[in-house]
Amino acid sequence: MQQLLNGIFIGSIYALFAIGFTLVFGILDRLNLAHPAVFAASAFVGIELVERVGLSLWAALPIVFLFGAALGLVIERLAFRPLKGRADAHFAGLISSIALAGMIIALLQWRYGPDTRRFPAGSFPGTRFDVGGAQVTLVQVVILAVSLALMVGLTYMVTKTRLGRGMRAVAENPAAARVLGVNVDRITAVTFAISSALGAVAGVLFAINVNTAQLGMGSAIELKGLAVIIVGGMGSLPGALIGGLVLGLAEVFAVQYIGSSWRDVIAFGLLFIILLLRPQGLLGARKVREV
Amino acid sequence: MLLEYATPLTFVALGAIFAYSFYAVLIAGQLSLGQAGFASLAAFSGVALAPERTEIGDVTPLLVAIVIGMAVGALAAIVLGLPTMHLRGVFLAIATLGFAEAVRVVLLNSEWTGGAQGLAVPRILTLGMAWTALAVVAYWFWRMGRSRYGRALEAIREDELAARSMGIDVGRHRLAAFVTSGAVAGLYGVLFAYYVRLIAPNDFDFGAAVEGLVTAVVGGSTMFLGPLLGSGFQTMVPEIQRAVGVEAGWIRPFLASLLLLVVILFLPGGLASLLPRRTRMPASAGGTDDDGDRPAHLAARRHPATGETVVALDGLGKEYGGVHAVRDIHLEVRSGEVVGLIGPNGAGKTTLVNMISGLVPPSSGRATVLGVTVGRTPVHKVAAAGVSRTFQHSKLFNRLSALENVLVGGHLVSRPTFLRRLLWLPSARRDEQAALEQAARCLRRVGLADAAGTRASALSYGDQRRLEIARALASEPSLLILDEPAAGMNHVEAAKLSALITSLAADGLTILFIEHNVGMVLETCTRVVVLNFGEVIASGTPEEIAADPAVIEAYLGTEDDEPVTGSIAEGTLADPTGGDPDETPPDAVTNVRPGAAGTLEPPDTTPRNAT
Repeated sequence: MQQLLNGIFIGSIYALFAIGFTLVFGILDRLNLAHPAVFAASAFVGIELVERVGLSLWAALPIVFLFGAALGLVIERLAFRPLKGRADAHFAGLISSIALAGMIIALLQWRYGPDTRRFPAGSFPGTRFDVGGAQVTLVQVVILAVSLALMVGLTYMVTKTRLGRGMRAVAENPAAARVLGVNVDRITAVTFAISSALGAVAGVLFAINVNTAQLGMGSAIELKGLAVIIVGGMGSLPGALIGGLVLGLAEVFAVQYIGSSWRDVIAFGLLFIILLLRPQGLLGARKVREV
Repeated sequence: MLLEYATPLTFVALGAIFAYSFYAVLIAGQLSLGQAGFASLAAFSGVALAPERTEIGDVTPLLVAIVIGMAVGALAAIVLGLPTMHLRGVFLAIATLGFAEAVRVVLLNSEWTGGAQGLAVPRILTLGMAWTALAVVAYWFWRMGRSRYGRALEAIREDELAARSMGIDVGRHRLAAFVTSGAVAGLYGVLFAYYVRLIAPNDFDFGAAVEGLVTAVVGGSTMFLGPLLGSGFQTMVPEIQRAVGVEAGWIRPFLASLLLLVVILFLPGGLASLLPRRTRMPASAGGTDDDGDRPAHLAARRHPATGETVVALDGLGKEYGGVHAVRDIHLEVRSGEVVGLIGPNGAGKTTLVNMISGLVPPSSGRATVLGVTVGRTPVHKVAAAGVSRTFQHSKLFNRLSALENVLVGGHLVSRPTFLRRLLWLPSARRDEQAALEQAARCLRRVGLADAAGTRASALSYGDQRRLEIARALASEPSLLILDEPAAGMNHVEAAKLSALITSLAADGLTILFIEHNVGMVLETCTRVVVLNFGEVIASGTPEEIAADPAVIEAYLGTEDDEPVTGSIAEGTLADPTGGDPDETPPDAVTNVRPGAAGTLEPPDTTPRNAT
């Protein structure tokens, strides 16, 4: 039971991170490899807000959300928009986002130094609950609640609002969307902003969960994010949620029964099997190629 | 002087070799991140299995380890490639990345690799050895560039489906590229191991793979010098920063990343795009021998004798989720015929042609084309049997020149030259020359000789259509399928195309073509088949079709709906280009007007030529 809950908590963070990843992929067909840098940057910014400014955790989260959104706009502007219409945009986008990620991490190093940082002691209330014989902290409940709320909100936005309709139109066919009066550039920018905002919140929640933030924390979760969006199905939001939870649970149980050093083999074994048996992922749709 | 920079220069060579392992697959349009895994497996098995240096000199263990490492890398690539080669783009990247991570974790937990501590390895590699190895690898890719194999890989990168239709076995070529990549990565792994003195599984992590990919792309993934340039850039930028006194810390990675961003944004095609690219013209264009004797180096195809069955369709049908695109088609095409396929938009013409060329499997019925049962035969085998086609929406290899496009078209009739090019055998040069001349001849035949060096994407729409025809002709097909070849052409061009088709038929080709310019179809074809709602509604000589009431109804509705003067048939027959020359040309725009005599096209507001 304890393991199950732990798996769900860590899985919901993976899901939140992966949803940002998959949102951009679903709409632009590009991987934004600066996403992990946003994840790391927001964790540091979150810690600074609590430590220096003295905000409470709850006040810091919305600010980090906005910070992530702004970072997303910068990423779109610098690394993706200039590549529009280039034949090699696919590879070039990977590289330009890697370059931007390198710059972000370098700036973090300048601001915060290379050392691991933590939230100041006593930042979170130590309240604990007893759920079916397992220990759950208030912080963990908050992580889960925030993740779920953001995912539900995002799903609502994508399926029900005008903006979401625009996003889906751009995903389907950018040229047609433009002809029909959708402001494709704006939709793209907003998508990046939302994606990065989600990644930023995931970063803070992750830092809260393990109470550390390191410069390299993004690359550790990057691989997992990729695994999650493949398992769930590229571009599928509910797929990323399920994929995140599956990965979180698989890891926790792998540590329990096989040993911690083999944890990542489980994740990637799972990824591999899914790719071979169902390349479109659990909830992805297979794209039909036209002549 | 040189010795002072020995370490960075060795790393330039090592980085370049690793980048070549990415280049090997990028050139075929594949994105793989598994190379770190191959390198890791190769490094550890090479070091573990090679003899100690004390026994037999210095170089022998290194050579043995290289052989073992490259074999392990290639083998791992086969094992990984067989199940994953059908994956595309990011999916392949992530699958291979998963493999590399799994390798890393397994090696980390194994005894024989020393786990996280790693394995101590003697330093044997020298600067000279590293650059020798790099030279060999670069030579390999240089000679590959202009071989038949290298062109086929580029064609796959540009348009996989079109490459298949040109008779290229895409699966085998992709796997070959992948195995090459594995072997080169293995070479890198071993060389790296014998230079850095201590290897650990974590030296070959995700970061290493990304570094290799970045190097390859920054250098330029379409030119063989790219990886070398990229590695020089990636290795020397930190060195130069140190030399000019930039403090360590955050500024160095920041500037390096910034430079990377600038290069990728402002130099599409990487650093290699700074180098001038030789445009290759058909050397000694042959001049006189237009359609003269075929050079002996090209395999000649024997067309079926006139009157033999080329295409036999027996109850062929295609259903898309309950919608019958094509239903119960019985059709026979005999050698030497020029068959025109007409019908309103959505009648199923393209679907039918896709089935005949093997791109779309039929959902019912049987089709035999040139002795091959299509549907169960891979597309490239159908092409090998002598079927060649153009596409409704041009599917050219956009970043290749017009001439290179046609050279790829000649894939089936030219001979493999890569291995002989490695050895500089004169016969390879002769074969390449023959292929070039043949391609130039095909270009001349469609009137594009002057555009040989132009990128396909830079050609006008009409020229692209003609280039597609030239490319299809280059494979010396017995059955040529043209899907709306005259779309976007004016009436003069359409008349020329009609003459070209007639002359091809005189050469013994069987031609099946879809066209909306009915006037041209009636003029050119020996037989016309009319399709509507997925069924054949008429078939016969142009005269019979032009007079067929069912056809007129399909195009213009019944006579009750709209008065038909009966002059349509005569009018179109009189004017092969479909309309008064002084009127607007019979292209898609004209088709919007239902009454336009020559085009017989129902009202249609979809821009068919939109790409």
